[in-house]
Amino acid sequence: VSDVGGLLRAEGAYAVGAAPPWARLAAWIALGGAGHGAVMGMYALRAEQALYSALKVPLLLGAVTLACLPSFFAVHVALGLQSGFRAACNGVLAAQATLAVTLAAMSPLVLFAYVSGATYRQAIVANGVAFAVATLAGQAALRRHCRPLLAVDPRYRMPRVLWGALYVFIAIQAAWVLRPFVGAPGLRPSFLRAELWTNAYVVVARTVGEALLGR
Amino acid sequence: MGLLQDVDRLLRGQHTGPDALAAARLPISAGRLLGAALALGAVYGAFMGLFAVLTPGGPGFAQLVSTTLKVPLLFLLTLAVTFPSLYVFSALARSSLGAARTLELLLVAVTVSLAILASLGPVTGFFTLSTDSYPFMKLLNVAFFAIAGLGGILFLRIALRGAFAAPVGDGESTPRGRRGPRAVLRAWIVIYAMVGAQMGWVLRPFVGAPQLPFRVFRAREANVFVDVLRTIGDLFR
Repeated sequence: VSDVGGLLRAEGAYAVGAAPPWARLAAWIALGGAGHGAVMGMYALRAEQALYSALKVPLLLGAVTLACLPSFFAVHVALGLQSGFRAACNGVLAAQATLAVTLAAMSPLVLFAYVSGATYRQAIVANGVAFAVATLAGQAALRRHCRPLLAVDPRYRMPRVLWGALYVFIAIQAAWVLRPFVGAPGLRPSFLRAELWTNAYVVVARTVGEALLGR
Repeated sequence: MGLLQDVDRLLRGQHTGPDALAAARLPISAGRLLGAALALGAVYGAFMGLFAVLTPGGPGFAQLVSTTLKVPLLFLLTLAVTFPSLYVFSALARSSLGAARTLELLLVAVTVSLAILASLGPVTGFFTLSTDSYPFMKLLNVAFFAIAGLGGILFLRIALRGAFAAPVGDGESTPRGRRGPRAVLRAWIVIYAMVGAQMGWVLRPFVGAPQLPFRVFRAREANVFVDVLRTIGDLFR
């Protein structure tokens, strides 16, 4: 617990500017993500779905981070800021670990929403809110870790802002591809849905279009 | 007598002053806090459950026993659900409190809430003896729980004020930097209040409707906010 305190406050081994313990950060991402994932999958009281979701949330966090890193590097290079890339990466990893730990801390609230008789849609909204809050916490951690870089060159703000935007954009589609996480009560528990490669944004656009056109 | 002295010191803020918070351990142990919380909650629960015993056709003595146990449980379960998020958000906001100290402080706030609630017990008892309106008793108890919760939260806010003071020179002690911790605390208070209210709904019945048989828990339906509005409507029928 004191290690989590250090991570959240950016103190000790996780202090801003220090070489972070990458293995421990990865462990927090895996543990925090798995903890929240297990709770997500408990909606219909099916152990199989809880296990799948416990595996998929850390996978989601790791995959989105890896998908964003090349663009993050390219922006640093394009701006001539490659000397600060390693420090920025340290910040990104600390931010992901903060996100995962925040998710785990919010899982009792999600579980309580389930116990309170939340419908399937309400359960999805509760988890969406938990992810949104955790993402904001992650961004706050990233901002904290990037502060010394900004003091050197204000242009370091641009890669950080782009990281946030790209991360959310990719994470929404990745979560869609890796669904189900909550597990609809009428459907069998599954690791992935059969209609895997569809697009979250297209589905939302079609749904909005149908609602507006009254179809 | 020791328990009453502990509660007296708690209410006067002697266990949560800056010196006490800076010390390695609070002057009162978590075990004693838990004992005080359970006892105070049980006292109010007994007053609350009296309505079920004194109302003709009511759920009776079983409801009194159930309510006596459930009132402290309501506060402690709310604490268990909301503690992880408060700890994470307060650490992100650079509070100086560790996890154990945060938990102790929350336990203090819960004990203060339950002390306020227990002090309102005789008032509940008086109305139980002088009214047979179930909606009135329900709303009276909702109001008393809200007052007790608010008291605990105000106490916590004062205690946490010092803990959220950012160290000078860390780039966050500007007025803009201090807004974050305050926003964290406000957001958490809203979460605590909502979880507490809904926890009361999940653990119902507490008063015990006269026309319904005794049940430890009722079926899951609607939510506390819908029910309070419905009960206000019932009061005027």
